[in-house]
Amino acid sequence: MLGASVKEEVNQTEEPRRRRRFVLLSRLKQNKVAYISLWFLVLVHAVVFIGPLLWPYSPEELTGTGALANWSLQHPFGTDDLGRDVFARMLHGGRVTLLVGLCAMLFSLIIGTIIGACAGFFGKVVESVLMRITEAMMAIPNFFFVLVALTVLGTTPFMVVLVIALTGWVEIARVVYGETLRWKEYEFVEAANAAGATAKRILMKYVIPQILPSIIVSGTLAIAWAILTESAISYLGLGIQPPTPTWGNMLQNSQQYIWTAPILGVLPGVAITIVVLAYNFLGDGLRDALDPRFAKK
Amino acid sequence: MFRFILNRFGQSIILMFIVTVITFFLINLAPGGPTGVMRMDASPEERQAIVERLGLDEPVLVRYVQWVGNAVQGDLGTSFNSSEAVVDRIADRLPYTIELTVFTIIFSVIAGIILGVISALKRGKAADHVINFSSVIGLSVPSFWLGLMLILLFSVELGWLPSSGVGPRGADFDFAGWASHLAMPVLILSTTVLPNIVRFTRSSMLEVLSQNYIRTARSKGAKEFIVLYVHSLRNALIPIISIIGVLIPRLLSGAVITEAIFGWTGIGTLIIEAANGRDYPLIMGITVVITLVVIVSNLLVDIIYSQVDPRVKNMA
Amino acid sequence: MIKKWWLLLTVTFIALFLAACSYGGDEEADGAESGSDSSSGEAATGGSVSIPIVADPTFNPWHPNAYAESNVINRVIFDGLTKPGKDLIPSPDLAESWETSEDGLTWTFNLRDDVTWHDGEAFTADDVAFTFNEITLNEELGANSASYFGQVENVEVVDEHTVQFNLSSPVAALPAYLSFNTEIIPEHIFQGEDPWNLTSFNKENPVGTGPFKVKSYTSGQSVVLERYDDYFGDTAKLDEVEYKILPDANTHVAQLLSGELSIFALDDTSAVERIESAEGVDVNGRDTNRFFWLIVNQQQERFQDVKVRQAMEYALDRQNIIDTVLQGYGTIANAGITPALSEYYTDDVKQYEFDPEQAKTLLAEAGWEDTDGDGFVDKDGENFEIVFDIGIQGDLEAIAQLVQQYLIDVGIDVQLNTMDWNTMIDKVVIQRDYAMTLNWWRYPPDPDLKAYMHSDFADQGNNIPAYRSEEMDRLLDAGAETSDVEERKEIYDEAQKLMAEELPYMFLWYPQEVQVKRSNISGVPELAFGDTLHYIQEWYMEN
Repeated sequence: MLGASVKEEVNQTEEPRRRRRFVLLSRLKQNKVAYISLWFLVLVHAVVFIGPLLWPYSPEELTGTGALANWSLQHPFGTDDLGRDVFARMLHGGRVTLLVGLCAMLFSLIIGTIIGACAGFFGKVVESVLMRITEAMMAIPNFFFVLVALTVLGTTPFMVVLVIALTGWVEIARVVYGETLRWKEYEFVEAANAAGATAKRILMKYVIPQILPSIIVSGTLAIAWAILTESAISYLGLGIQPPTPTWGNMLQNSQQYIWTAPILGVLPGVAITIVVLAYNFLGDGLRDALDPRFAKK
Repeated sequence: MFRFILNRFGQSIILMFIVTVITFFLINLAPGGPTGVMRMDASPEERQAIVERLGLDEPVLVRYVQWVGNAVQGDLGTSFNSSEAVVDRIADRLPYTIELTVFTIIFSVIAGIILGVISALKRGKAADHVINFSSVIGLSVPSFWLGLMLILLFSVELGWLPSSGVGPRGADFDFAGWASHLAMPVLILSTTVLPNIVRFTRSSMLEVLSQNYIRTARSKGAKEFIVLYVHSLRNALIPIISIIGVLIPRLLSGAVITEAIFGWTGIGTLIIEAANGRDYPLIMGITVVITLVVIVSNLLVDIIYSQVDPRVKNMA
Repeated sequence: MIKKWWLLLTVTFIALFLAACSYGGDEEADGAESGSDSSSGEAATGGSVSIPIVADPTFNPWHPNAYAESNVINRVIFDGLTKPGKDLIPSPDLAESWETSEDGLTWTFNLRDDVTWHDGEAFTADDVAFTFNEITLNEELGANSASYFGQVENVEVVDEHTVQFNLSSPVAALPAYLSFNTEIIPEHIFQGEDPWNLTSFNKENPVGTGPFKVKSYTSGQSVVLERYDDYFGDTAKLDEVEYKILPDANTHVAQLLSGELSIFALDDTSAVERIESAEGVDVNGRDTNRFFWLIVNQQQERFQDVKVRQAMEYALDRQNIIDTVLQGYGTIANAGITPALSEYYTDDVKQYEFDPEQAKTLLAEAGWEDTDGDGFVDKDGENFEIVFDIGIQGDLEAIAQLVQQYLIDVGIDVQLNTMDWNTMIDKVVIQRDYAMTLNWWRYPPDPDLKAYMHSDFADQGNNIPAYRSEEMDRLLDAGAETSDVEERKEIYDEAQKLMAEELPYMFLWYPQEVQVKRSNISGVPELAFGDTLHYIQEWYMEN
């Protein structure tokens, strides 16, 4: 049941790539929540990447309005504990947060795809070594490692992204590994192999494109995970450091004002939650759309 | 079975070795040193004296070999920052983390199965949507933020639950105090695993419900349906055991944040203290112990699973 | 079937709910209990107080790992030779009186003869000699506070109740140093033991001479002290003192408001408004012996020009920082001797009002001007760029962000570089590999600031800005060696004027401690929290 529908698509060699992607989008449209999430995320990204260019205040400058001011026309979200414009900080913070999520996801994808694809494609020793490493990474409660690594190595943005990525690739590697195993059995891959194409070429040209949709799904969920992890390490003071705002460190900083200005915590908290929620819905929607059983429903 | 365990044992030793090498060199080669050395008003002479006392003037490689030599004999060294045996410090704290995670697993499994089954039975109805939506929210909220909000609500505004600590222990133990201290940490920690269990239960229940014999029984009448249904439910739930194995590392990761929020004096707060104070032996000890906990609990889960589920009995 | 599940779910929630409610009930019961305690005990005594600490303590004041959380316990279970008086002038504790020789090279302390250790042994001069000769002055141990006693050669037992400190050069501040985390520990327990690894004492069951002794200690949770009935002074009025180990500052506030904590110094002043509005809690600002500073590395030539340092001082709106970050609990500092040392403090020094224009003028005089119109001042074609290293602790990050903005406003391109505390110490204090940083000093109640500004410590030690001035060296040396109060006053008046003029440190403010306390506790002297603990035997609960 599982193989049949897929095989049909694949046997038309050049066709399936475009078709699968097209099918994915049209199926996604049927899932309202996921579809709305997609457009919501496009909107959020547009706002945090373009908004700061239009907004007159920088996130670090002291506005002169004073600290913890209430909302007003100049400062729609008021000012923070040091007298900076919270709206500007939310915009810039969102930009940094989403960038951290995207970069960490990309790193994870690259590592996970290489490891998963190599393990699945080459088999034998390569497979057992790479998969043992993957299993080992799964077995370690990685937050302990993240905590120690960031404490001693410092919390530069690069380190934060790297450490998040280093603990986030495992899931992706497993998905890619499984898919590679499946796809390398197909005739067009075997044909290419017989024709003497290099392993790199086969992987890049024939295998990876086929599993791209699964990678996209994993990537979407990986962003959600990376954003949450950044906020969690910020809680321990190990995320990206002030004065650069992120939603995570704004949330962490707001804890002190939990009594006097709870709004400072509510804003970034809600922002993180809905963005992660949207990514999760989108990821779930994409996964459902990919599921061959979907067609039956 | 025996070969299976032996095989796993061999893998675990390699895993432990890799973990200790990475951690040891990471912490020892990074800038900054143990807090005793790094006191701001210490004179250079005081600093030098402490460095020598702690043996930090030896090359890192030598220290690693010494550490491994002692560790295989069960001696994890002495904590830099408290001068107590690392083993004792961990033994003080580990039970609290185990208590927290075990109760979280119990709570999550019970609540997860109940919600998952309801969701499957009410597929497509309002209850299903609400449960689905809530579990995605549970996965999406920063848990520390949710924790702080709960503290604000239940401790500050309503004054029902204590905001921090593990509650009265030993001679002063009382059930109500204990349960009230445990409630919020368990709730917060369960957000890391509960949604997965709900989803897992739901999908395996849907699978069961779509089997032909269930459909037939259903059409024949209620009594037969219930008998068959309850019977197959059991089979549907066996895989839950395997998912617990996968979730244990995640629970322990989540415990770090949860313990920090609620002042729960487990291994999570200890690793934070150790990392901040650059207490090298303590960091190493915790890393070893936590990896061991994961390995052992995964092994247990696999063994139980292979005993319960006839299909995987011969996996060894 | 479904009904059953709902039932289960409902039962679970009801159980949780009941557990929650009974917690509230417990609290009231506790309150009633402690109330009846006080009526059953001796008149006007009884009750207990709880104090938060942030980590597990070490019951040994000299242990290199005994930090603030240990100090607040150790000064209750142990005693020093002296303690800070209610006017902060050293006053008698284990020593009844003391005197110095004509040349200032020996100090003689007459000890009390009615002191017993918590295990019943008698306290003698041998304990004092042991503590100093074997622990403090043993260089291999690297004891806490040992640097204060660098000029002490040894401690001699004159008779059973008299000791003599022999010095290599005069130290006028000796009695003050002896009141500051330098409590005496028992020879009969430490004799022949490794003082840092004696876990049975340091971590479990310490033996002191103070008004309270350890009753129980649970790692990560609490330390409970009980009254020591054979204390040499007035027996304590409270039955018990509990130190709760609570790392999180928000928890401290929550538990103060709910009455679970009694008294402490608020680390983080942002919650002060909420506490002030609460009933049954007193909030008081108390002077402490601390000053905050901003420093630039004067090993770099560009920072050796005093005009640059003065410009930076003018550029900062310090009052605004005090108001926003410290909620007003602090006073502007222009020199290093704090108002808490009222005997020596003077405000008759150069003042730096917030004046960005004056700052720019001074920078221009020093050769820094914005010639290329990019908003930053430059000299010889290079912008004035400074990397500002900050260790993560308390309010430092918030303050640094404000300082950064004020300096950018006058054209200095400041980049913030935050790092964890231990990395900062390594980089800034040990390697001296930094350009600018911000921090504070806390020092014993004596105006001797030699360790922080004397050129002897400019290459390594606590003169982190590497400030060098012969004039300052001369004044600080003179002050350190003079015991005559009037003479010292004159010397330190002059020194403070020089500090304000030359800015070895860019002095920021003297923070006030925000002391919070449940109103039903009385008898607490009007001192900084740490100092009130020397008088804990006077505290009592009001009914």
